[in-house]
Parts: sequence; C-alpha cells; structure tokens
Amino acid sequence: MEERILRFISALRASGVRVSLAESADGLRAVRAAGVGDRNRFRVSLRAALVKERRGLAIFDQLFPVFFDHAAVPSLPDVAGDLSPQEAELLADALGQFSESLRRTIERLLRGESLSDEELERLGRAVGLQQVDDLRYREWIIERMRRALRLREVQEALAGLEEALLRLGMQGVKVRRIRSQIDASQRALEGQLSSYAGQRLAGNMAARPRSNDVQALMARPFDRLSQADMERLRHEVRRLAAALRSTVALRQKHARSGHLDAKATLRANLRYASVPMELRHRDRHLKPKLVVVCDVSASMRQISELMLSLLHALQDQVRKTHAFAFIDRLEYISPDLARGEAHQAVTRVLARMPAGYYNTDLGSSLADFDRRHLALLDSRTTFIVVGDGRNNFNEPRLDLFDKFVRRSRRALWLTPEPRPLWGTGDSDMHRYAERCGAVFVVTNLGELAAAVDRLLAGV
Amino acid sequence: MTQRFESPEQVRQALGQQTYIAGDEIATITYLAQELGKPILAEGPAGVGKTELAKAVAGALGRELIRLQCYEGLDETKALYEWEYAKQLLYTQLLRDKVQASLRRTKTLGEAADRLSREEDVFFSMRFLLQRPLLRAILSPEPVVLLVDEIDRADAEFEAFLLEVLSDYQVSVPEVGTLRAVHVPLVVLTSNNTRDLSEALKRRCLYLFIDYPTLEQELRVVRLKVPGLAEDLARQAVELVQRLRQGELRKAPSISETLDWARSLVALNARALDAPTLERTLTVLLKHEADLRRAQTLLALPRRVPAPGGAAGDA
Repeated sequence: MEERILRFISALRASGVRVSLAESADGLRAVRAAGVGDRNRFRVSLRAALVKERRGLAIFDQLFPVFFDHAAVPSLPDVAGDLSPQEAELLADALGQFSESLRRTIERLLRGESLSDEELERLGRAVGLQQVDDLRYREWIIERMRRALRLREVQEALAGLEEALLRLGMQGVKVRRIRSQIDASQRALEGQLSSYAGQRLAGNMAARPRSNDVQALMARPFDRLSQADMERLRHEVRRLAAALRSTVALRQKHARSGHLDAKATLRANLRYASVPMELRHRDRHLKPKLVVVCDVSASMRQISELMLSLLHALQDQVRKTHAFAFIDRLEYISPDLARGEAHQAVTRVLARMPAGYYNTDLGSSLADFDRRHLALLDSRTTFIVVGDGRNNFNEPRLDLFDKFVRRSRRALWLTPEPRPLWGTGDSDMHRYAERCGAVFVVTNLGELAAAVDRLLAGV
Repeated sequence: MTQRFESPEQVRQALGQQTYIAGDEIATITYLAQELGKPILAEGPAGVGKTELAKAVAGALGRELIRLQCYEGLDETKALYEWEYAKQLLYTQLLRDKVQASLRRTKTLGEAADRLSREEDVFFSMRFLLQRPLLRAILSPEPVVLLVDEIDRADAEFEAFLLEVLSDYQVSVPEVGTLRAVHVPLVVLTSNNTRDLSEALKRRCLYLFIDYPTLEQELRVVRLKVPGLAEDLARQAVELVQRLRQGELRKAPSISETLDWARSLVALNARALDAPTLERTLTVLLKHEADLRRAQTLLALPRRVPAPGGAAGDA
C-alpha cells in the first residue's frame, strides 16, 4: 500500500501539485491514523495532508481513482467447471464458430481469469503505452487495449453464442448464467485495463524528465509561448509572487518610512524610565490602490493574464485592486478574479464579450471608464494600463487619458512592444507614453515581474 | 463532554450535538488534526462555517476556545506576549523598603549582591508577562482549541512568526527563558483566500476546503438552526439562495446570510416567498446595490427604484 501511495504522490507531482517530502510523510501518517477501511475517509485524509490549495484538489480527485480504484477482480466461479461434460461439449461446439483469437478471449472470460502482469505489459507495449505521458489520453489507450483484446467483438459474438447454445439444446437458465458470467468477467477485465493504463500513464508522467528550464521560459517572449508553456508559467507566477512579496516586505522594513508611533514608543521606553531611546514606527505603510486596465485581445491576452494573476497573488501588498479588461469595451473583472484564477476570469470575460471580429478600441473603453468608474480614481490610486497601444486607428481619447492621469497618483503603462515600434502603423503608444509617469516594456515574465516589483516599490 | 475524539464517526456526532453539521471530510480531518497534532487550515468563501467549526470543536471537546483575530499590522506584542515594564517598575519601587530591609544584615557589597540575586526571580517572573492569545494557548494547563481567524489578513511576516510557534509549540521570552507547551493545542486556521499563504505554512497544516453547501446540506443547517421556519418555506428559501449563488454576483450570499434571512422570514411571519416579502427582505441576503439589482432581474421582481446612474463603481 505504501508503495502505491508513493507512486501516487509522484504522479501528483508530475501533474503540477507541489508535495514536499514532509507532506508525503504526513500523508502516510494520516492514512495510518484514519485507516484504509473506509475508502472515502482514506481519500479525504490523504488529500488533506498532501494538497494545500484548491487548484490541486481537482487534480487529486482525478488521479485518485486511477491508483486506488482497482476494480478488484472478483474471483468468479468457474462456469466451465460447473458444466456437465455434455454441456461442456455443447459449449465447445458453439465456440467452434468463432475465430481462434476470439475463442481464446471468450474462454478466458468464462474461466473468470484476470490478466497477468506480463500480459498487461505486452498489451501496453502493443498499443504504444510507453510513449504516452498525458492522462488525457487514458480513454484512448483503454479503447485501444480493448480493441486489442477484441472485447467489442466478444459482445457481438455473444448473441450468436447464446443462439447457438440454445439451438444445440442447452437449458435457457444455463445459457443465461453463462452470459452473465461473461459480462461480469468482461467488466472486471475492463476495470483492470483502466487502472493499469492510468497507473502506467501516471508513472510515465512521473518519469518524464522535469525540464528545469523555468529560467529560460521566463525569458521567452510572450508571443512565442505555447499552450503548455503558459500552463507552466501559471504555476511559476505563484512562486514569483512569493519572492516578490518578501522583497517588498524587506524593503518596507528597511525603509522605516512609517509614521512615529507614539504609544508604542512610550511603551518600549518604559524600561529606560520613559526616556525615548528607541523610536517605534508604525509598520503600516501607505499601501497603493491599483486600477488596472488590461487589453485582452489575442496579442495581449497572455501578458494581461499573467499580470492579473501576479497582482492577485500580491493582494496583501496593495490596499485594493480594481481590474478591468477591454477589447472594444470595458468589463469590470475583479469579481471574476476573486472567484478563481486569472486564466478562468479572462476566459469568462471573453465569453461575455461579443463574439466575432474584435476591434481593439482603447478610446471607447476609456470613455466607458469615465462614465461608470471614474470615482475609483483618487490621489492614492495608481492607474495602470496593460496594452500595446494599438488602437486600430480609433480615436485615442487622449483628453480622457490626461484627465485620469491628473486624478490619480500616477499612471503607468506596460507594453510588450519595444520603443522603436511606438507610433508605427496604428500604434498610439508614443502619445500615451509621454503622458505616463513610467512605461515598462515587458516582453517576458521575467521583465513583467521586475516591472511589478518597481510598481510596488515606487509608491 | 469528552477530552479526545475516538474516531471520525464520533467527531461527527459530537459536532452534531453542537449543532454543527459536519460531512465525512470535516469529521475525518478534525480527527486527524487531533491524532497527528497538526493545525487545520480551513479555506473557503466567507461565511461557510470555518470559524464555526473551531467553536463547535471546542464545544464538543469541552475545551476552552482561544481566538486570535488577525488583521493587517498584527504583531507579536498583540499576538504572543508583552512585557509589562510599568508594572515591573511599580513593583520595584513599592518593594524598595522590603529589599533594603533584607539587605541590611549583609556586611559586604558582594554579599548584598548575592543576596539580591537570590531574589531576582521576583522581578523576572511570569507575573510581568502579559499573555496574549498565542501564549495563553501554549501555557494553558488544560488543553485548548486555538482559533487563528483570517490568517490571510495578517502580514507575511506575521505568518512566518506564527509558523515558528506552530512548528514546535514553544516560545522564547528573553526575560524568563523558553516556555514550552503543556498540551499541544488543537489549532484551526481560517483563510478567506484573499491572498496565497506561504508554502511553508501550508506544508505544516492539514488542508480543508469548505465550499458552499449543497441544497440538502444547507437545508439541514437551516432546519437545525431556524426550527421556526416552515419546512416548505425553508426549502424554497434555500433553493432561491442556491440559485442566487449560481448568478454572477459581486458577493454571493453565505450560509450565515441564509440563516439571517431565514430568521427574518420567521420574524416577519412570512407565509410565502412572494414579491413583497422578497423585496423587503432581500437586503439581508445581498449587500451590494449592484447585486440587488441583478437579483431583481434574475427573480423577475418589479423594480422599485430606477437604477441610479453612475453608481456602478465600487467606491
């Protein structure tokens, strides 16, 4: 059992759940304390010890049955043995109509015999199980294994077999028993296939060389990220946020820019007979309020999404973040962000936006903002735009942008386009840029993190 | 009143007696927390009974509940202990005569210093230590339940500090030395998930995600806590709440809000969930103007007031 749990844990890790050594030890202890008798209890205790975030729960629940749902192949009564010699002969006769391989499969089902490890191994090799390391292909692999065992043909053949047996004069009761026996065996066999395939896949996933080129990935330009890269970067964002948070916290500690805390100072200096030898400062810093307006058109989607998840992870470093997404009009997405991950939030916003041809229009989005959300901008707010400033020759509404800049504490812009491209074609970037307090050119996650760090530092 | 749980099954029953309906998951994890001596980290949306769990566990075990409410800027002096210099000074001054009397018979300076050092325990003792929740939980002679509420609202530094305390249940106080826990308290941390907690803290805890309950679960809670509400009305009310949660609201109604609503339905002697009743009571359930308006369209209620223009911002 322990070995199975350990293999399960490595499969969890391979699917992106972080499980530390201490946690796997806890998992084993938890299982020992709660017992393995009650399956649900076993699942819950293992999960509580191993998975520490909501995202991982789904992965856990998906993998768990693969490892622990071994539809225990019930030892079925050997029907063939029950039969009188006469009946056995009838059965052999009836089976004679099938091809050699089909007959062998049916005979094995009749004996209620499960597949041996070698057989499974051979079967797996035949369907190319070694090369696959993604659980999504599990069904496909199982289907191929079923086909290799000719299980579908068995089902079709059974009708013929029943008919033949009746014709040959076997009792109807007996025939039905044989039929149900074969069905039960087949279900058991399929269960065995399914759990074998799942475990092998998970094993392959665990064995897959963990590419540690995260650094390289962080330096890869956004427009050259594949779907899989994005998936990994989404994980990376959390780590990045943790690192950012501690640098921010350290900086605040050293900066000592807080106000003098008179009460704490008095208390601290009682030991010096109230001579203020040690000054105490209020720890609380003026945390910034952020208003982020993100372009989520196709070219900008990745950077916007990563930016939003970074900001979400850093919520404790800011007072409040109001997030907006736009393509040709503006959507308030903070509630979506609060409910889930940035990825899902962005997808949901895209679903709400009118389908079809997207026409990026920052100008009219700014007008939306002006109409409905202007009250959010005040002297403590940092106004941030994430976008490439390519406006499809629409009116840039610089007047509104000027107004927002005036109202807010400062205005920042994050763009993926290098400076020489500003102002070319439909880009209004140069015009927005001269109005912003700072423009960060971010082309990859590394630069994005640096920009967010500067953003939090400079408040 | 038991001091220990014997099995997950018993946890469930004991919590049930505290009018807390626990599923298999909650019961098992609570049992494990006791067996392994590990904190429970309960995460989930606001108002699904995370804090309530700690209270129910304390009640079921007959233990004292010590609560530490976290907030931004919470530090050790508020959470752990504070040294009371004022009191120490006061004692020193008031005891001056007594000290002099006891030193009078000494002959040399050295002898006097020795004599004094024998008494210095008086001035560096627990009596000048103002105990805050964490220290109280550690030093309590009886086993307790410690609730660290809304840990996600505290700063990251405080989290690191809490981690230190929770990993070996001991605290060093410069003035008196290292204090070790008499009993390992049962710890429940709650988080509304407004930010990610540090990996290190999560590693030490058993993770429990409490989500909004299913219709049947919520109905049971309502029936248990608000017995005055007629059964069919309770069902209708819970169904409506569940439907509201499906909608895209800024703040979905929590269980506690469902209960408040159920109570107000009882107080108003409501017979059915008709439009006037809903209109009067919906504010108990939904706290945002925008949500109210959305709910009114969702439930096809007549609009009482036209939506005020320009109020969509969350100012």
